[in-house]
Amino acid sequence: MFNLQVPMRSVAKDSIGEFGKHVPSASSALRPPPRAELKEWGGTRLVRRKRVLDLGCGDGRLALGVASLAKRVDGIDPDPEAIGAAKRNARKAGARNVRFATGAAQHLPYPDATFDLVILSWTL
Amino acid sequence: MVDALGEVHRVLAPGGILVDARPDSRVPAYAERRKPRGFQRFGLVRTSRLEVANDRASDLAIARVVRDGLFKRMRRGRFWQRVPFSDLAALRKYLSEHLRFVHRAEWVVDGATRKRHASDQFVLRRAVRYELLEALRQ
Repeated sequence: MFNLQVPMRSVAKDSIGEFGKHVPSASSALRPPPRAELKEWGGTRLVRRKRVLDLGCGDGRLALGVASLAKRVDGIDPDPEAIGAAKRNARKAGARNVRFATGAAQHLPYPDATFDLVILSWTL
Repeated sequence: MVDALGEVHRVLAPGGILVDARPDSRVPAYAERRKPRGFQRFGLVRTSRLEVANDRASDLAIARVVRDGLFKRMRRGRFWQRVPFSDLAALRKYLSEHLRFVHRAEWVVDGATRKRHASDQFVLRRAVRYELLEALRQ
């Protein structure tokens, strides 16, 4: 488990990973960049000119990351604070084809066959 | 979960694609220190039983909707992500605040080495899995 780099007389230890409290959706900044994630899934053709739903969008990290490629992006999340942040981020980014709404995955407020792509990124 | 996937199927056009991406709890994450060239792995961080159970439940839900003929599996894969932290303290804080991780990793060094690397960058290298599923006409 450990790499002992040098012979030691006095050894100091740092413990990492103590069982701790849960902080929901720590920070989307710690997730892979949207384009990097998209590249792994199959590249930009996956979203290009498509109608995209980001389910569990949080602060809109991924939705805004793919907005410039997609025809339209909808983001939905049960957390109103996260949706507030997503809307602020969208305004800041000047994204016009992105809409965010509060809602649950069990009752999506969209008609049948609305989207070409649904993304569950770190959601399920 | 199955209900949510049913809703996803409803809002997807036939032939539409569902992407399911999440951290891969089947393999451990690694704590690493950035070196001038590459990274030095010094510990591994396992996922909590609760999170592993949640991931299994998600896998079962996906399997169920595939079995029910709502989706067809297209492609799956895994990639590694390095989450950077400014120093060891920041990495420790991140791990301590997440129920997802439970295993203890320790960087065992002498005092001089610790001082020399005080401002080094530390990273958490973790696996991310993804799967693409095609919505089938019902």
